[in-house]
Order: sequence, then C-alpha cells, then structure tokens
Amino acid sequence: MRARHGGPAFRRLILEDPACGFDARDARVTHNNPNEEHGRLLEACAAGDHGALQTLYRLEGARLLGVVQRIVQDRALAEDIIHDAFVNIWTKAHTFDAERGSGKTWIFSVARHLALNHVRRQYREVTVDDTTAEQLDAERSLTASAEIEDTFDWQGRGDLDRCLKALEPERRNCLFHAYVDGYSHSEIAERLDRPLGTVKAWIKRSLQSLRECLS
Amino acid sequence: MTDDAPNSSMSAETLDELAGEYVLGTLDATARRDVERRLPQEPALREAVVRWESRLAPYASMVEPLTPPPALWSRIERSVAERPADAETTAASHTAKMSDSPRGSSWGALWQSLTLWRGVSLASIVTAIGLALLLALNPAERGPRYMVVLSTPQHTQAGWMVQAGSQRDIELIPLDDFQVPAGKTLEFWTKADDWSGPVSLGLVEANRTRRLTLDDLPPLEENQLFELTLENAGGSPLDRPTGPIQFIGRAVSL
Repeated sequence: MRARHGGPAFRRLILEDPACGFDARDARVTHNNPNEEHGRLLEACAAGDHGALQTLYRLEGARLLGVVQRIVQDRALAEDIIHDAFVNIWTKAHTFDAERGSGKTWIFSVARHLALNHVRRQYREVTVDDTTAEQLDAERSLTASAEIEDTFDWQGRGDLDRCLKALEPERRNCLFHAYVDGYSHSEIAERLDRPLGTVKAWIKRSLQSLRECLS
Repeated sequence: MTDDAPNSSMSAETLDELAGEYVLGTLDATARRDVERRLPQEPALREAVVRWESRLAPYASMVEPLTPPPALWSRIERSVAERPADAETTAASHTAKMSDSPRGSSWGALWQSLTLWRGVSLASIVTAIGLALLLALNPAERGPRYMVVLSTPQHTQAGWMVQAGSQRDIELIPLDDFQVPAGKTLEFWTKADDWSGPVSLGLVEANRTRRLTLDDLPPLEENQLFELTLENAGGSPLDRPTGPIQFIGRAVSL
C-alpha cells in the first residue's frame, strides 16, 4: 500500500560506518523520576555535556527508532532520522523549557516531527474541498457501518484514556493510525475503506471532543 | 515573546485544532511547514502544540522498540562532537573552549551534514540553473562568477541566494518570506576554507535584496561558506555567530 523510501538518490547520501562500536563508558543511567531525569539531561546537553546526550540515547534510542521506523517504514531511513534527531536535540537543547512539558515528550516530538516531515514531503496529499468531499461521501459512509473493533491496544497508557473511551472504536483507530503509523488522511481512508471526507471530519471532531472532555 | 502576530485573529478553538492535527500528523507538507514557521512567533500556538504533545505522547509506547545498530551512535557522536550546542545562554561558556581548537571544525560538520543536502528543494535547483544560465549568457562580466543557494539547516528549504557578478560584488537575494522574531536580527557571515573563522558581512533586513562589496576581504572563492544567523538585535556581540543558523550554503563557480 505504501512505498515510502527516498529511492537510490537518497540512499547514496547515507554515510556508512562499519568500524565504530558503541562506547558506553561515560553513560550514566539513573533510576530517578524518568520525566525529570530527561529534563536534567537536556539541560546538561545545553551546557555542552556530550555524556548527557549519550545517556539520553541509551535511555530512548531504541524506543525512538521504533516510533520513527513505524512512520517511515524503512530501516536505513529511520536510522538517518534518529541521527538527525539527536543532532537536533543537541543543538536545540537550550530551547527545551521544563515548565512546558516533559523532556521525554520533547525528545520524542523532535524525532517524530522529522519523520512526519519526511513522509509528508514524499507524498503530497491531493487537496479536496472538505465540504464537497463530505457531501459526495455522505451516502457511502451511511451504508458502511459494520461493527468495528479497536486496532490498537491503547488502554492504560495515559490521562487521555478516559476521553478516548468515549469515542467510537473506528474513530480511535483513525487517531492512532495518524499518530502511531503516521498515516495521512488519505492513507487512513484507504486503510479503513472509508471516504476521505468522512475520515477528515472524524478526526476533526474527535480532536474537538477530546479537548472538550479535558476542559 | 508577547507579540502574537500575524495570525492571532484565529480563534482559540481553530488554533487548538490546527495544533492537534499538527501533532497527530495529519497536516500535509505545506500546512506542516506553515505551522513550523509560525511556532517561533506565536506563543499561543506553541502552547497548544505542547499540550497536544503531552496528551498524546504516552500512546507512542504502543510501538515496539528497535535496537539501533552500534554504528548509529558513533555517527551521532561524530556529528555532535564538531558542533557546539547553539545556545545563546552557553555561548559564553564555550568561548574559551572554542578558541583553543581550530574554529573551522563545526563549519566542516555543517558542510558534511546530510540534512543540509538531502532535500534541497527542486525550486532552488531550478532557480539556481536559471540564474547560472543568466550569468553564463551575460558576456559583459569577466573572471570567475559564483552563486550560493542558502538553505535552512534542518528542513532543506532554499531561503536566500547569493549572486556574485564578480569576486567583489555580491547580491543577497531573498527567495522566500522570512519573519524575524521581535528583538532579533539576521546577520550575514562568510568564511572561506582556509580562514580561521567567519567574518560578519553585517545585519540583513528580511525579504529585501542587499548589495555588498567585499572590499576588505580576499576575493570570493570556490566553496566559500555563507550563512545567515539569528542574533539578538544589534548583531552578535562576538566576532563570530552566537545565534542559531537560519540559512547556509557554499559558493559554486559558474
């Protein structure tokens, strides 16, 4: 369904590095509150401490690679993005503000948005006037209403659980196909075999109801 | 940071929806770029994005981790070893360290950066070829001529172009709209391969073509680096950039 990779021109640019091994001598892993720990490590990065970056890599590298690989569906490209993400984390660490969100969230955002920017650049979505699309699709969406179950094992992970529970499973699936798989509106529509306009409207309304539920 | 221009007319709800779709990932490339351009200038949008990031982040744990190959850390380590964190706050603490080491190293790293070159947009290439032809077809000028496309270091978008009719006269031409945050200014720098450090070519007004004569500098040469950094109003207090690089590129002879 998706063929997301940069092709040969991109691949040529990847630096090969067969020789170097991972040196963990300087890594300092502690088991304090993980959220605060990430913030402190980012502050250390901003102060020029390379060891802090290495510790962040040891703590989150594998999870970040999983998240990015899921979005770009190409292992070499995912590793390139993790490389770029850590360079960004290093150079932008001073912009992290512990008052606004956790260090861990900040790090994941850096990597995830690099991955999303990549897949969105590869595939420009065809613009369809939303209202027209909804009208055209209305009939089809009415006729297709089989029982849909959750595709994602989402429960018990965050404060949003309570609000997510209020959504219909298929709408939850839309959100997670976007957030976790990095699917565009049209990819979700294709995956769920639903009209594009419907998927766009569902996501918009789901976000609205999540916001209302939280306020 | 209180300046909430230029899209503050957007209602809080619309802003929150936009932030939600941005974090979720459903915006297309153009809309994503638009949000990322607005983020530095709009605290309300930034806060909405941070809220959505925090709400959704726990659900990223649904994805299985993948062990990175050992070579990946080595690559990262090499890339960051050559560049200081570009914080204004740490600039002072780095000064001593920087002056002990050859200053060219971080510039070299940027030159080699994959991100810089990975996706230099088609538009910039088309523009570049167009300009190259234009210059090549103009018989009035003699001697080597150069051109530089300055792209963003992270997103590989062309933002400015340097056109050099001779080795002394250059023109800095904006290719895209750029918004300078309040209290900041763009500063233009250059460095040839064998110079010990970058030299400021002065402050630059966004979205305006600027003509310069390189009277006090050696003639422009192949591969010479040009960059625009975002400095505090009045420009860098030091003889080198202290703010983050916004656009960067190297001279190519035509």
